[in-house]
Amino acid sequence: MALHNRARSTRLLVVTLVSISLVTITVDYRQGDSGPLASAGNTALALISPLQEVISKVTHPIGNFFSTLVRLPAIRRENSELKDRISALEEQVNTTTADQNRLRQAEALLGLQESIGPKVQTTAAQVISSGVSNFEWTISIDKGSTQGIAVDMPVVAPAGLVGHIVKVSANASVVQLIIDPDSAVAGRLDVTGKTGLLTGAGEQDMRMGLVDTTTDVGPDERVVTAGYRIPGVATSLYPPNVLIGTVSRVVPDSAALEKFITVRPAVDFSTLDLVLVVLSVGTG
Amino acid sequence: MRRTLLLTVVIVTALLLQTTVFADVRLLGARPELMFLLTISFAILEGPASGTVTGFAGGMAQDFLLDQPKGITALTLTLLGYTVGLLRQYIVSPSPVLPVLLVAGGTFFGELFYGLVAFLLGQLDVTTLYLFRVAALSAVYNAILTPLVYPVLRRAAEGSRSRKVMRW
Repeated sequence: MALHNRARSTRLLVVTLVSISLVTITVDYRQGDSGPLASAGNTALALISPLQEVISKVTHPIGNFFSTLVRLPAIRRENSELKDRISALEEQVNTTTADQNRLRQAEALLGLQESIGPKVQTTAAQVISSGVSNFEWTISIDKGSTQGIAVDMPVVAPAGLVGHIVKVSANASVVQLIIDPDSAVAGRLDVTGKTGLLTGAGEQDMRMGLVDTTTDVGPDERVVTAGYRIPGVATSLYPPNVLIGTVSRVVPDSAALEKFITVRPAVDFSTLDLVLVVLSVGTG
Repeated sequence: MRRTLLLTVVIVTALLLQTTVFADVRLLGARPELMFLLTISFAILEGPASGTVTGFAGGMAQDFLLDQPKGITALTLTLLGYTVGLLRQYIVSPSPVLPVLLVAGGTFFGELFYGLVAFLLGQLDVTTLYLFRVAALSAVYNAILTPLVYPVLRRAAEGSRSRKVMRW
């Protein structure tokens, strides 16, 4: 009898907790980013981020060590490739310095310097944790609204574009990476200047859509942010000409309406440590 | 009282580890699901009621602290804790391999269930293949972690068990 009662009370417990979960799902689904649930989430983020910061300071080197072990063959290959590139680039540097001098003179002549050099304000932030889920690609950083960070601000790393701010609390914020399936970035092919839309595909390379089939694209071509501006209608989230990645694969298909291009991101998201948040894009 | 404290400490620790250490140490791109591991372990150790409560508390904590679609993890883990707790009653011979198998199976099906619910709510935007891949990989990862985590949890659970209650 006691066992029977126990089983029944457990069943009641399950039904109650499942109902609470379902209510939470519904409320969260209907309110989106602006309900009491979202602000509870923000408060929770503010509470847990200092703890994460402490732990990641201690464990980041250890984790890096292990992931380096796993990727050792790839790193060795990368090393020899990089050595080749350095020698190639060294040659180029000599020629480009001359070109740059000429360009600077030309710019000064035309009085373009101010309009080209935008007064971009940035703030550096430390990555304190990666997203926990296997289905979302986000990172948390240690700067928040007190440091002037707001939702939608672009985030970059020395290697290239990282993503944009999706959630802010007082001293921490969450960045949605460009490889998240929900992320879309307007990109421009470096050589032809044709634009397209880059969507994330998680661990796989990003997809670039809406590119004209007649466009001539080769592998290893650089893709940068397009940074469009339609006055009064829309302004792109990201500043123009930030490196997104390089073209990894082009599928030849003359029948399709758009080219199928995959792009490998320039940033290695698994080893991100310091990022820059772009606070304002001065247009000069 | 001691149970509540234990549960809070264990859940917070798991969340912190998952976002920091295990964010760096991945298995072919997949992270372990510590909260799944925790729920299944408690369900095996303490039965369906404890599994249910652990799953619900852990799921809610993960959803709120880590900015995920709220409630889905809680729903998944509540049901998972209850199911694994029920399965325990049909097990005749307790072998040391058993928790490993239950954790692997539970994580795999739990992850698929999570994917299904998130997909139905329009919160998930990945291919079915990816979902199966992640479910399989995190199941393997969790299974590997079980021999390390399970004994610790068992000791903690036995230590916090109130002395007055008879066990049968």
